Order: sequence, then structure tokens, then C-alpha cells
Amino acid sequence: MSARPLGLVRGAYVIAAREFSAWFDSGVATASTIAALLLANSIFMNEFFLAGRIDMTPFFARLPLLLVLFLPAQSMRLWAEDRRTRTFEVLVTLPLSAGSLVLGKFAAALALYALFLAGTAPIVVMLCVLGSPDLGLVASGYLGALLFGGLLLALGGLLSALSPDQVVAFVLGALLSASLVLSGDERLVAVLDGLFQGVNVGTWIHDSFSALPHYDELVGGVASLAALTYFVGLSALALWLTTVIVRRLRT
Amino acid sequence: MNDTLQTGASAGTDQGAARPLLDIRDVVKRYGATLAVDHVSFALRPGEIVGFVGPNGAGKSTLLKLVSTYLEPDEGEIELAGHDVVKDPVAARAELGYLAEHNALFDGMRVVRYLEFVGRARGLSGGELAARLDWTIGACALQAVTKKRVHECSKGYRQRIGLAAALIHDPRVIALDEPTHGLDPVQMAAFRDFLRSLAPGRAILFSSHIVGEVCDTCERVVAIHKGRLVADLPVAELARRAKRDGRTLDGELLRLLEPAAAATPNEPRSGGAPR
Repeated sequence: MSARPLGLVRGAYVIAAREFSAWFDSGVATASTIAALLLANSIFMNEFFLAGRIDMTPFFARLPLLLVLFLPAQSMRLWAEDRRTRTFEVLVTLPLSAGSLVLGKFAAALALYALFLAGTAPIVVMLCVLGSPDLGLVASGYLGALLFGGLLLALGGLLSALSPDQVVAFVLGALLSASLVLSGDERLVAVLDGLFQGVNVGTWIHDSFSALPHYDELVGGVASLAALTYFVGLSALALWLTTVIVRRLRT
Repeated sequence: MNDTLQTGASAGTDQGAARPLLDIRDVVKRYGATLAVDHVSFALRPGEIVGFVGPNGAGKSTLLKLVSTYLEPDEGEIELAGHDVVKDPVAARAELGYLAEHNALFDGMRVVRYLEFVGRARGLSGGELAARLDWTIGACALQAVTKKRVHECSKGYRQRIGLAAALIHDPRVIALDEPTHGLDPVQMAAFRDFLRSLAPGRAILFSSHIVGEVCDTCERVVAIHKGRLVADLPVAELARRAKRDGRTLDGELLRLLEPAAAATPNEPRSGGAPR
């Protein structure tokens, strides 16, 4: 009966199901998700009553600043917690590939984040009741938010695998996430370009490294191939590197 | 290995004809400059329960971690039901039921959910999973705690949960690291009977530093000291020698360990597995 290893996807599904339920076993995830949701909705409501526009652009514009703290807090435990409690040994001695483990944990984190995004649906409903928002733009904004969040979770998972300490994983994750966002800010780009005149460091970082320009494209309704490639490609790279690290941690 | 006392199954006894379910060949494992496992070889055939003994830090846990695929050997080969643990670790793990030394469990999960998770991860589903769950919960006497969260269970129950997780997929090879740790004397006696009932068709390797416990459970004992195999012999032979020389079983084992200790006075200390 014993020799029947699962494939990559089925193995990832089993891991994802356990991880997803584990978020709610701890209670911390529930509390932090609700807190982030309340914060996101209140930020939108504040902007909405000030601007009085029937669109979600202000919400999506503020979202990255919230996510650079919320998502590293979520991803910090992905591997560091298992290493701390020694359940890492349980996971890597199951007949599953390292790819299944990494994909499963990432899928669970992404599902929790998707649940957070679903919690902002009342904003869309309210806008539809009050007027006629551009639903295509809203959908594109949610796609951008999902891809951006997926990238931060993949990078956070990588840092969690690299660090046995959750706090270190959180700090590094928040710093990396913040740099992906802030490097796209025009004011910072101008400051950096001014500091290193002739080299245009700020512009170079903005164009080659920053996530914000790609995110802004999607939020603005332009689902460009460059933006999709950036988010999907970088996320896949982070997941692959995590797989390599998990294999090395075992040996 | 010339100084190793070998009269056990790997040296050719009545079970020598069957193909080994667990075959450890000339395995070496180092942690930096420390030699934790030093050219160890032995094999377990179907139906064998082998006690793996040695003092703390002898390399028992490291060798079991190598068998479990958690660690990879620096030299040598380990085959688990015909699968090489380095070349085909996933297939090897599917054949193995493993209880680790520290028996880490997902503390927040309910016991039945934890066992379901392990069963699913091992490819069980539907009626087959339900049947195996029923069997393991009954066999490991977990009925009273199935709805509890793991962290609410006593040490003895935690050990039995770990054992149930190791057995849920009906593995052909079972490797248990200090499985009786945390069990009371009554539970230990029940465990010994249970282990003997599992033996037909399976190979069982379990580590302990209590020789009496091993002798009560196994037909064969493998002793390791400072990473080296120092004895591989039937329990009956160990008992006969102890009786002949007027020693206890522990005393006889200590006598076997002495030459190994004396042979390597200047070598770096062999250690246990990294944490």
C-alpha cells in the first residue's frame, strides 16, 4: 500500500490545504487579516469622501504601502516557523517533492491574501450602488493587486526559508517589499538622479527593478505583457530559489 | 569493519535469503570535521525487528535521519525497499514510516486532522484513508484524543500520535528513533507487543539506549559507538554471552563498546544530528 507518491500539483494541494487551515488555527492570521482589511477599507473611505469619485483608483494607489507590512508578516512564518518547531523534518520526509512543498505553502499564503482582497468587495458593491464604476478598471486593479501580492509573498517565502528567525524574515521582507515600492516613487527617483548626476541611478532602478510602474500599469487598466512577465517571472524565480534552498536545508 | 562483531542477519542467518528491505552500505556522514557515521553497513530483511543501540551521541539519530532521507550520506548507499535514498528519495520515503527523535508535530492541529493530513500526503484518500485512520487510531490507542489539538495531549499521547503518523500508510520499512520515550511501563510493554505484531513482512529498526528494552523487543541488536558499528548479533547470543560471563545485558554491551572507545581516543567526538 505504501508506495504511491503524489505528483507535484496534488502534493501541493495537500500542503496548501494544511497550511491554509493552520493560518486559522493560530488565530494570529485571522486577527491580522481583519486588521488589514479594516485599515484598507477605512483608507478608501477617507479618500472616497474627500475626492467623491466613483472609482477604486485611490484604494489601489494606497494598497502597496499597506501590503509592504502586511504580506511580510504573513510570509515570515512560511518556513521559519517549521524550522523553529522542527516540523520541517516532518514535511521534508513526506513522499513529496520540494517543489510540492514550496508551491503548496505559497498557494496557501496567496489564498489567504485573496481572501483579504475578497474582503474589500463591499467597496465595489457600494460604488455600484452609488454610480457606475468602470468594472474593467476595477478587475484590472484587482489583478494588479493579486500579482503584486503574489510577488511579495514569493519573495517573503524565500527570505523565510533563508532565515531560521521569523523576525529577521519579517524585517528583511518588509525592507525588500518597501524598496520595490519606493523605488517607483517619482520623488525618490528625482532625488537619486540628483545625487548621482549623469548616471541616473534613480531612473535605472525605477525602470529595471521597481514593481510600482508595472503595478500602476495594471491598476490603470493596461494589462501589458511586460507587467505580467515581470510579476509572474519574478515570482516563479523566487519560488524556484526557495525550492533549491529547501533541498539544501534538508541535506 | 574487521573489528565488528557480526553474527546477525546481515552476516547471513535464516533470513539471509530474502532481499533486504533496508540496506545500509558503507555509509559515512560528517558534520564539518566531526565524523558522525563512520563506514556503517548492515541490512534488515522482511520480518526483522532490529534494535539499534549505543550511548548518547553515538550517531544513532544521524543514521536514522539518513535512512529517512532528511540527511544525505557523504559516502556509501542506503536502499529502502530497492529505492536509493539519494537518487530516488520520494519513492524511498513512500516505503518508510519514520518517527523522528524529537517527534515534532503540528501542535495547532486536531489529532485526527493531523493523521488525515499525513495520510493524504502519503497518497491515501477516500475509503482507504478512512480505513487506515480507523486502524491506526485503534492500534495506537488514540480514541480518547482524536478531537483534541496536539498541544493538548500528554507526552505519551504525543509519542503515540507520532507512531500513528509513521504507520498510517502501512509502510514496509519502519524506522523509530527512541519510540518509547515518554511512555509509562504499561505503555512500553504494550508497545513491544504491538511492534512484534507489525513485524511480519516488514523491516523495523528502532533506536534506544536502553539495552533491556531492545532485548525484550528484538531478535537482533546492532550497536554503534562514535559513529562506528561495533556489534551486530542476535539478542540470544548477547544474552548467552552475558550469562556466561556473569554480566548484565547492559554490562555485556558496555564490554562490546569498550574496544571502539579505546581504538579512537584522539579522533574528534562523534556527535548527534544537528538541530
